[in-house]
Amino acid sequence: MTVHTRYRYELALCIPTHPPIPASPTRRPDLRLLAAGCSDSNSSSHSNPPPPPPHHHHHRPTFSSSSSSSQPPSTPTSSEPLAMPEEDITKYLRQSHARVFEHNRAWVTEQTKKDPEFFVKLSAGQKPEYLWIGCSDSRIPAEQITGLQPGEAFIHRNIANLVNNIDLNVMSVIQYAVRHLEVKHIIVCGHYGCGGVKAAMTPQDLGILNPWLRNIRDVYRQHSEELDAIPDESARYNRLVELNVIEQCRNVIKSAAVQQSYSKNKYPIVHGWVFGLDDGLLKDLNIGFEDMLAEIQKIYNLEDS
Amino acid sequence: MTYPNDDEFLYALSSNQAWASYKSHQNPAFFKTLTNEHAPSILWIGCADSRVPETTILGLPPGAVFVHRNFANIISPTDINTAAVIEHAVVNLKVKHIILCGHSACDGARATLTDSRAGGVLETWLTSLRVVRAQLASQLATIRDDHTKEIMIAEKNVEVGVAVLMANSTVQEHIKSRGLEVHGCFFDISSGRIRDLGLGTRMSTRRAPSTNGTAETVRGKHAQLVFREGGVAGMEAR
Repeated sequence: MTVHTRYRYELALCIPTHPPIPASPTRRPDLRLLAAGCSDSNSSSHSNPPPPPPHHHHHRPTFSSSSSSSQPPSTPTSSEPLAMPEEDITKYLRQSHARVFEHNRAWVTEQTKKDPEFFVKLSAGQKPEYLWIGCSDSRIPAEQITGLQPGEAFIHRNIANLVNNIDLNVMSVIQYAVRHLEVKHIIVCGHYGCGGVKAAMTPQDLGILNPWLRNIRDVYRQHSEELDAIPDESARYNRLVELNVIEQCRNVIKSAAVQQSYSKNKYPIVHGWVFGLDDGLLKDLNIGFEDMLAEIQKIYNLEDS
Repeated sequence: MTYPNDDEFLYALSSNQAWASYKSHQNPAFFKTLTNEHAPSILWIGCADSRVPETTILGLPPGAVFVHRNFANIISPTDINTAAVIEHAVVNLKVKHIILCGHSACDGARATLTDSRAGGVLETWLTSLRVVRAQLASQLATIRDDHTKEIMIAEKNVEVGVAVLMANSTVQEHIKSRGLEVHGCFFDISSGRIRDLGLGTRMSTRRAPSTNGTAETVRGKHAQLVFREGGVAGMEAR
């Protein structure tokens, strides 16, 4: 597997290269600028675009604000030692933690302004239509990229959006979503450039990550002929991302909860999607749910309860 | 093939198209930047519940929060799924904060209050909450209101989860070497607000009365109520 050796020291997305943390915590650029490209300090609304209203699928929001020059995002990381005295680090950590609460209060004010009953309705219960199984990657907040509101999607996110038969964590989520919430769609969503997928193909002992990422190596092994024939490295990884999503869809369909509910209710339908970080768009892999289910049930049939 | 609920499915996909156009319109370099950068400063471990969309309720943009969400935000020490997320977030991404967040009206806590069995894998997964319920048995017996009981179980679940996080050797190492912080929080669905339960790495500093001049503190036996400006009240464990 010489093709993967380039990733030995790179670990792809795991080791970000960023400018060092600014000397003064107060000069640290607001993270929101990353999203908004705007200097309005009260701009939490910019990160939550108005979703199109239901039943008007071709609606596009109109925008009055012109896009201003964006500040280069320089989210600091501590891959390098922090170049500041210890008390400043403590102060910086305080502030970055406090900011989360400030943003939360701004969001509450905005939601309540739009709908005074919003939180009253929300606390009455949830009836989501979707179960989303996605990657933990911070760049793919399921609700924001799909425009879904609180209450609309039940979410599980783990490293590389894996669905493993013996992982009680994800299997419990699926069972609850299907049997109790009766979701209509289950979406397994991967993304191109997935650090977990790349790390999985790195010839290196990654400790506790080994058993988890091993699932991805298994996907590669099952499709090695196709993958080995792709000369371009990033194209090969992108294909592995897609194949991994398809394989995880299969794993969802192998569950008793999904098979039994589908046989009785004709839902949920399982979908495989991939998110493109470079354009923000979701791609439907069209996995062909019914055919996949029929094929799986030749061996994994758990329809009888 | 046909979907039973075409509307919802197409809605989500078309909504994504609108979102992508919106983001590119606001900042043409947005997705290019997103492709090249992954440096979240927060690892959020929360509930899969659809009413707790972390990045939205925190008012943060894509790229800011690394996320793990499971049923009832349970941190089980031998759960390989959570363990892999923590390892990657702490060691490779070097997040600065781990936030474990519980919430009110939690279905897991409600299920724990009854003796009926959830069955299958779910039953095994919820064992941790059954332990929490048993630990709180005497206090729960004095409460009539189920919502209050649920909140009590959900809060204790966060406390237990934070203790597991603090015992994780990777987490310990990074607290010591670079000041990683661990927090326990609680999201109140009926108001949309998150409050800090004062657990984890700040436990000792939180014992001091609030430094906020406008806050009024009422100390109880196990917790203190802090009333801040604008009618915000929070309970902090002592």
